[in-house]
Amino acid sequence: MGNWERLVWNQRDVLLQGLLVTIEICAIAFAVAIVMGLGLALIRLYVRPLRWIAGFWIEYCRATPIFVQLMWVNYVWPELIGWPTSFYTAGWVALALQSSGYLAETFRAGIENIGRGQREAAAAVGMSPILAFRRIVLPQVLVMIAPTIVTQFTVIVKSSTLVSVITVQDLMFQSQRLVNVWYEPIEILTATAALYILFIFAVSALGKALADRLRLRYGLGT
Amino acid sequence: MADAASTPPCVEVVDLHKRFGPLEVLRGVSTRVDRGSVVSIIGASGSGKSTLLRCINYLELPTSGEVRIDGEAVGFERRPDGQVRKRSAREIARFRQDLGMVFQQFNLWPHLTVLGNVVEAPLRVRGMPKREAMELGRACLARVQLSEKADEYPARLSGGQQQRVAIARALAMQPKVMLFDEATSALDPELTGEVLEVMRGLAADGTTMIVVTHEMAFAREVSDRAIYLHNGLIEEEGPPAQVFGDPKSDRCRQFLAKLLH
Amino acid sequence: MFSQNLREMLDLALFWEYRQILLAGLAFNFYVFAVSAVVAVSLGFLAALGRVNPLRPLRWLGAIHVETFRNAPDYVMLVWVHFVLPLLLSQMLGQRITFAPFVSAVIALGLVYSGYLAETFRTGIQAVPKGQIEAARACGMGGALIMRRIILPQAVRMMLPEAMNNFVSLFKATTIVSLITVPDLMYRVSMVTQQEMRPLPLYTGAAITYFLLIWGVAALARAGSERWRRKIWA
Repeated sequence: MGNWERLVWNQRDVLLQGLLVTIEICAIAFAVAIVMGLGLALIRLYVRPLRWIAGFWIEYCRATPIFVQLMWVNYVWPELIGWPTSFYTAGWVALALQSSGYLAETFRAGIENIGRGQREAAAAVGMSPILAFRRIVLPQVLVMIAPTIVTQFTVIVKSSTLVSVITVQDLMFQSQRLVNVWYEPIEILTATAALYILFIFAVSALGKALADRLRLRYGLGT
Repeated sequence: MADAASTPPCVEVVDLHKRFGPLEVLRGVSTRVDRGSVVSIIGASGSGKSTLLRCINYLELPTSGEVRIDGEAVGFERRPDGQVRKRSAREIARFRQDLGMVFQQFNLWPHLTVLGNVVEAPLRVRGMPKREAMELGRACLARVQLSEKADEYPARLSGGQQQRVAIARALAMQPKVMLFDEATSALDPELTGEVLEVMRGLAADGTTMIVVTHEMAFAREVSDRAIYLHNGLIEEEGPPAQVFGDPKSDRCRQFLAKLLH
Repeated sequence: MFSQNLREMLDLALFWEYRQILLAGLAFNFYVFAVSAVVAVSLGFLAALGRVNPLRPLRWLGAIHVETFRNAPDYVMLVWVHFVLPLLLSQMLGQRITFAPFVSAVIALGLVYSGYLAETFRTGIQAVPKGQIEAARACGMGGALIMRRIILPQAVRMMLPEAMNNFVSLFKATTIVSLITVPDLMYRVSMVTQQEMRPLPLYTGAAITYFLLIWGVAALARAGSERWRRKIWA
């Protein structure tokens, strides 16, 4: 037990710092992915000339492994377009790209699911299409796909462990650094794994409870 | 106990109780079904008639009481030394082979062909050789007039045809008794006729049958005995002419009168 | 400047030049995928059987298995299995044990994806209507026979699309085994990059290769499983 205290408990500041970076980079990636996903879905549905590009982009994001995506963004983009200039940015960009593809498809399915009746009812009371989308369609879509969005966040957290490879100082990075200092991996890596598992478990349990409550409130059941 | 001289009845139910939580669905039902006879069970929904049928083949575990097939208790074994031992799931499954069950919702297996449905139990449960099982299966399909559908999948059949396949599947186990649980209730009215026709044929061939049904005319015509169940108890029991024509119980009379209007 | 870089990015001649080394790397992705898929399916099936078991301790065991591995990040699991598990085993057995990178990769990915697959299997098994099982019991069939002949054939068809998604994810996850030096495509790309100092065409080539492969296989798998489902469920 002495090892646990020395290697893990006494290093809790470092590990928690790493966890904070993990949470931060995931939050940024998640926010960007939602906006991008919604944008891509709308383009694919309503902007006829750009539909092909959006469709291809979505398929590319979904079918490329996150690690490959990360390397591509990290090594190729800066030389190609001069951005992103930091590893940190490359990290969240890759994570956001990956999830935006999945979220776009989820949004699209959700929007298509809201019947034409809802739109017509909105038009009948004089709403513009944009107002109808914002006030009538989007809220229903969000309630409907809430569970998928929660799942997507946990996917981002899992993938975020890879940003340590490009030296972003997240939890995984800090824990591997501690391992390299003491060459005693058992306690540190076990604690790190447990921390990740518990964190992701908590996020999905909490998210599922919230999503269920939201859906129940609107009579959608679970 | 029953007198030892006569052979035991095909099915005997003794003081059967079934409780679902606080709800007592069967409150002490006793009856017997002789070999070759047809017994119909009628009653309002919630009277316990389906539960009674499902307790007979132990799809539902009775809370107390006994079900005997040919004099042998299904749920437990009386040892010679007088001790009582609960039977294992495997032993109960052995008893079920003697009871053919036809469900309201057919419950045909969608991934097997019509013939596949019929021969599944003879092949895998009884361990019958394949050729023999196929022959038996085809014979059973012929009895329900569906020989030409042997290689179709159930989803391509009408409801009436599906239910007839389900009857063939039950027959293929060569059971001592056939149990029918509202076999026509899930069917469109125009499809009930073909199923009732098959059941009528079985009755005429001397098959022992217990029939839970809403089809009063049919019950009156084919049964040797009718049972009216009310709130988990047998309220009226006797020859169909009596139960349907001149019931002693007021409740039974009211139940039948309501159906006529 | 930009157009020059774009040309460099799309100059896949370099990627082509090293095609033999790189394709041999891709073979490792398939190899890791195949073996971990076997591990994941076997363990996942056992865990799913645990989760639908009437015995409470087995249900708990199944639930713990699923929740642990489904919530574990691939990479964390990979590092843990490669660097911690051999040490733990050494302590337990009193002799020095190490895992070859390939073995660690297969164990880690097998464990993680057994969690996902167990949930897929469980959902499929529980989607089989109750009446199907009752009809089998009424025919005198026992538990194992019902599982094998009635539940599984139907459950497999119902869970197939989701299982395909799980397998696609598993294949994508095989790209991280390069991080514990399994010489897969990504590993070799980084090696060649260090030699040539031209990451643009190499990483772009890798991305395109993986994209085409996964996109194509996923589309085929979707179409194939849909056709198989329809054949019976028409």
